[in-house]
Amino acid sequence: MAGVYLSYPFCAQKCTFCNFASGVWPDAMKQRYERMLAREIEQHEWNWLPETVYWGGGTPSLMRPEALEGAMRVIPADHIREATIECAPGSVTAERAQAWRAAGINRVSLGVQSFVEAEARRTGRKHSAEVVQRELSVLADAGIDNVNIDLIAGLPGQTFDSWRASLGWVERLAPPHVSIYMFEIDEDSRLGQEALLGGTRYGADVLPPDDAVAGFYEYAVERLRVLGLPRYEISNFARSGFESVHNLKYWNLEPYIGFGVDAHSFDGSLRWSNVDSPEDYITRLERGASPRADESCSDLEEEHFFVGLRLAAGIEPSAREWSRFKEPIDRSLASGLLVRDAERLRLTDRGFLLSNEVFQEFVHAPAI
Amino acid sequence: MLWDNLNYSPVYRMDFRLIRNFSIIAHIDHGKSTLADRLLEFTGAVSQRDMMAQVLDTMDLERERGITIKAHAVRLNYKADDGNVYELNLIDTPGHVDFTYEVSRSLQACEGALLVVDASQGVEAQTLANTYLALSHDLEIIPVINKIDLPSAEPERIREQIEQVIGLDASDAIMASAKNGVGIKETLEAIVKRVPAPKGDPDAPLRALIFDSWFDPYRGVIILTRVVDGALRKGQKIRLWSNGKAYEVEGLGFQSPKPVPCDELTAGEAGFVFANIKTISDAQVGDTIMDDSEPASEPLPGFQEIKPMVFAGLYPVESHEHGLLRDAIEKLRLNDSAFSFEPENSMALGFGFRCGFLGLLHLEIVQERLEREFQIDLITTAPGVRYRVTTTGGEVIEVDNPQKFPDPSSIEQVEEPIIDATVISREEYLGEILKLLEEKRGVQKKFEYIGSGRVLLLYELPLNEIVMDFYDRLKSASRGYASLDYHLSGHRISPMVKLDVLVAGEPVDALSMIVHRDFAYERGKALIERLRKLIPRQMFEVALQAAIGAKIIARENIPAMRKNVLAKCYGGDISRKRKLLEKQKEGKRRMKRVGRVDIPQEAFLAVLKVGSSGE
Repeated sequence: MAGVYLSYPFCAQKCTFCNFASGVWPDAMKQRYERMLAREIEQHEWNWLPETVYWGGGTPSLMRPEALEGAMRVIPADHIREATIECAPGSVTAERAQAWRAAGINRVSLGVQSFVEAEARRTGRKHSAEVVQRELSVLADAGIDNVNIDLIAGLPGQTFDSWRASLGWVERLAPPHVSIYMFEIDEDSRLGQEALLGGTRYGADVLPPDDAVAGFYEYAVERLRVLGLPRYEISNFARSGFESVHNLKYWNLEPYIGFGVDAHSFDGSLRWSNVDSPEDYITRLERGASPRADESCSDLEEEHFFVGLRLAAGIEPSAREWSRFKEPIDRSLASGLLVRDAERLRLTDRGFLLSNEVFQEFVHAPAI
Repeated sequence: MLWDNLNYSPVYRMDFRLIRNFSIIAHIDHGKSTLADRLLEFTGAVSQRDMMAQVLDTMDLERERGITIKAHAVRLNYKADDGNVYELNLIDTPGHVDFTYEVSRSLQACEGALLVVDASQGVEAQTLANTYLALSHDLEIIPVINKIDLPSAEPERIREQIEQVIGLDASDAIMASAKNGVGIKETLEAIVKRVPAPKGDPDAPLRALIFDSWFDPYRGVIILTRVVDGALRKGQKIRLWSNGKAYEVEGLGFQSPKPVPCDELTAGEAGFVFANIKTISDAQVGDTIMDDSEPASEPLPGFQEIKPMVFAGLYPVESHEHGLLRDAIEKLRLNDSAFSFEPENSMALGFGFRCGFLGLLHLEIVQERLEREFQIDLITTAPGVRYRVTTTGGEVIEVDNPQKFPDPSSIEQVEEPIIDATVISREEYLGEILKLLEEKRGVQKKFEYIGSGRVLLLYELPLNEIVMDFYDRLKSASRGYASLDYHLSGHRISPMVKLDVLVAGEPVDALSMIVHRDFAYERGKALIERLRKLIPRQMFEVALQAAIGAKIIARENIPAMRKNVLAKCYGGDISRKRKLLEKQKEGKRRMKRVGRVDIPQEAFLAVLKVGSSGE
């Protein structure tokens, strides 16, 4: 069974930590985009019926509900178990929530990032914890109580106390699903770029050190476990039965089809993605061309390790994989980052935080 | 260079009374290349159309850095005010201290020199050294005060300075602005009137000085030469004095500035010659070309074998490129006999080469040419000098590699090379410079105010201190205003010790260095601190130690890595994850693994930067 990913790349403002193909564009462009997104879906030949839908962004909660509804209508709905929309706090209204529910949405992922107002504001967010609280009840009233809350560990100015305060709100609001992302310092986000250049904008000079962020993460893992939200993937925590069906498809190497700007697809052997510029995407579809940018044949055995091992349950390597990756497996077991349970391999607690060190072992160094 | 399809010059024998051989002495950026460009242009050697800046410096490196690495000899025909057409040979030389010997040979090929001094900067150490070199060869010096058009120009003050510092009569110095073409004709007239015509006997047995050479894949070694006595002819059987080898002249000519073949170069003339010489080390700078059947009884004076002074290990970043590096070094050496190399093996860096250089600039040039012309990524270990070690057994060995430094218990004494260094700077930076010279174990030999707020310092310094980080430090101490020149003056007994670095308990040979005992603690500590910043955190805690023999003198710890995790989901963007992992893996692969620790390339250069009190 497969998933559908839908991309809505528009935002009210670009957050400093964001490294997605998203941004702020004029309304006219949004409408052209909505039309072309529907067209791309319509043109798709469904070889399988989707089980999940995931609206990512950008900020899909800002999309006109009728456009969203229109896109949902052209997706075969018979087998859909889970349909998620990513929301920015402050964009959830009763009308929207009801429209989403009517369109088939049954799960919301709220990009809270921090419940500490000063931290959120610095990244470009304007919400408060109370707004999040109110919006959760709006969603519940509309019949959506399968909710995820995103938090970022490692925001500028974050301290252990402020981190604990954010998790305190998680405890109070008791969502069934939480994602914890550690901020990545790279040139893809404004904040990351500033930090790499040694500047002070966006609070780049008050980013908590690596060791502190590792500590935040470990604290969250423990606290969420106590709250009944065990870690089921490096950055995902859920009450039993509330794991994201859609996201699990990525880690289990199940197929998914992506529509829209920079949407990624996987059919079980090939991976491809759409162009990452909205303008390019729109004009290609308007003149009847394919929005696909690139395509590659994946090495599923490598992916089984560097994607599958992200899951707390780990993976069960095939006989071929055991022999092909004998050396890296042995090294990772010896360094205490991987552990073996009968025929399964999984990350150790330390291994989660150093998972890239393990995963590197399973990719080819590119030829230069 | 193309040697075919060129216009043949008419055959005639030049009246050597109408020949002038001259060189240009200038500090970097004082306008030597611009002046040469203008002289070429004025005499019509280069048309306005073909004119580009720095005509003579053909290497990319020379153009980028504004320096001259290889010598040139360009013939200009100039119709002087007296009605005669003169043959002017401009013998352009490298100006850097690393190439003092080459400069001295080029100057030996001349009867005069233009001393170009920037009208606002004044005399610099390099200029001074080369002017003295020229005077010692009895060259007629013509001062040219350049850049008089600049608002900061003080030509009169500079004129006084030339008289005071160098002791030259500068009353008829030429006031020039090469950039604007001012003073060019005056310069040419002065060359004709003041530089003596070459002396030498066209009918005596051949003696010609080799002042540069390079390798041409089609012609073999091309020699730049100045004929002192006799003549060089096509087909002539010649003999090189130093090795006694005989060759037949296949071709000769001169540069104008493009090569022009001719049949004969006679006494007083400069030009090029090729004679199917296969290796550049057979045509050594300073050697004398003689006639094989009628050899002169004496060679020209001043020949020396060139000896490298600075040594460093060159290693390929990719160990499988060792063979490529060997080929590249061998090819480069075809054109540069001044550098030496022998295979070297490092536990940390694998197979590489221990190379000897004339100095740091020479090292940099070789390194850059290897990387650029042969596309090899290099790790260069910290440069050092050659020590003379007497063992307790009474044996004297020369050590240019810390790895080969004997155990302290078997050392009777160590002698290190010493230089005489001349530094010229503005007075206001004196404090900082003196501090630096003291720190570098300098002994003051002379301290002189040379007017216009400038000071000349003569110091005895260990060469080892110069190769560490002296240039950079001097530059920053003087905001770039100090100039430096030096020459080797001898050896001195010093308590030198070998400082080792241990990473996670394993000695890393490529990080070892030889230091003065009194500085060992401070340098060891500084090095370890620097390494702590350069070596990335590993999966376990890593101890860094500096040691002399078995004694640990400094220690730092790199704490274990806490996190390396990619958390975002990216809507199923697996290829982004793969790319990031590949990048991390590639980064690791480019590091050198010593024991269990991955050490980045920059760490091997950290040795260079220690001892800087500014750290």
